[in-house]
Amino acid sequence: MEVYEVFRRHGHKDPFEHCGAVIAPDPDMALIMAKECFLRRGEGEHLWVARRSDIHSFKDESLLEPTGDKSYRFASGYRDVIHKREKALARVRELSGGGAA
Amino acid sequence: MTYEEKLAAFAERVEAGGKVETEDWMPDDYRRGVLKFVEMHANSEIMGALPERECLPSAPSLRRKMSLAAKIQDEVGHAQLLYRVAEDLGKSRHAMYEDLVTGKSKFHNVFHYPVRHWGDVAVIGWLIDGAALVTQAALRDSSYAPYARVLKRICAEEQLHLRHGEDITLELASGTDRQRWMFQDALERWWLPIIHFFGPRSNVEKDLLLRWKVKTRTNEDLRQEFLDRYVPKVLELGFTFPTPAPVRQGDHWVVREEEIDWQPLEAIKRNQGPETERRLAWRRRMYDEHRWVREAMAEPVVHAA
Repeated sequence: MEVYEVFRRHGHKDPFEHCGAVIAPDPDMALIMAKECFLRRGEGEHLWVARRSDIHSFKDESLLEPTGDKSYRFASGYRDVIHKREKALARVRELSGGGAA
Repeated sequence: MTYEEKLAAFAERVEAGGKVETEDWMPDDYRRGVLKFVEMHANSEIMGALPERECLPSAPSLRRKMSLAAKIQDEVGHAQLLYRVAEDLGKSRHAMYEDLVTGKSKFHNVFHYPVRHWGDVAVIGWLIDGAALVTQAALRDSSYAPYARVLKRICAEEQLHLRHGEDITLELASGTDRQRWMFQDALERWWLPIIHFFGPRSNVEKDLLLRWKVKTRTNEDLRQEFLDRYVPKVLELGFTFPTPAPVRQGDHWVVREEEIDWQPLEAIKRNQGPETERRLAWRRRMYDEHRWVREAMAEPVVHAA
């Protein structure tokens, strides 16, 4: 018997997501059990199982942390659009001689 | 079932909004069409990294340089995601790369043009990424599900690139005369290529990809959405458009079709754009010089005793 991790997906637009695990002697049985456990009430339309021993992860999770300030990778790194736009519009008014230059 | 019956069932399914997975049966024309389309998209992402890469030295601050470098990395990442989708349809990454660097396959028109200064980064990041986002957002409903799923992630990142491009644009727009000139100058050079970007009017009868719902909207429909969304924003900032200049028509901003010169796009389709040869030569050189990296990466780890 082995542990199989179970992944399920709604429709075709979403990715597969982990939803639990079952213990089974082979992949076919794991699929049947996964269906019974995790697709009881239409929680998804597609199912995958994979042996837990075939799944790999970082032993040291600190390796997943960013190595420095990467705030420019986020939308929050480009804040104050409204204020910046107002500043630009004020500059346009100044150029056309109509604003408080 | 005969081939004709399978084909009819497939057409019916797709027509009704059904999605296609890699392992499903699909007509050869569909497989070939999707492969070519996704491959071209992947090529465009990886070639699209080059013009902006050439702008890196003119970044006005370290922060701007890092954020542009991060965006370029995103674009290369999009290429990797898309090549992966294309590979599953039966063409190896090596073959796709080979066809790209030897000029057998194509990449998007806007990446065949030169860049001159930091104003180009604003126009590329805001307007070209804006144009790309309009087309890619529509493709999230594509009938080929693996492509549609990858596009979700790509569109989220493009949204960020748009913020990045708009941020640079607003900085230039509120700056000195010289800064404002940079945006205006870049806009004048890029405007026609941006109009070309959406392609000529779609032939709905003949376009197999539209019929199979791989593409969901016509070229002119997408161009219209882009114009309506961005033209007022550019005008508001006090910039002006070169030919084909958009004009107001009821609720829409339109460019007159007779004012669009398609000649430059025709040349690019034959891979004869202003920068085509130089950029492909660069890609080819990188591909050759990095061979040892690919080979080293393909070896399993050997732990020293």
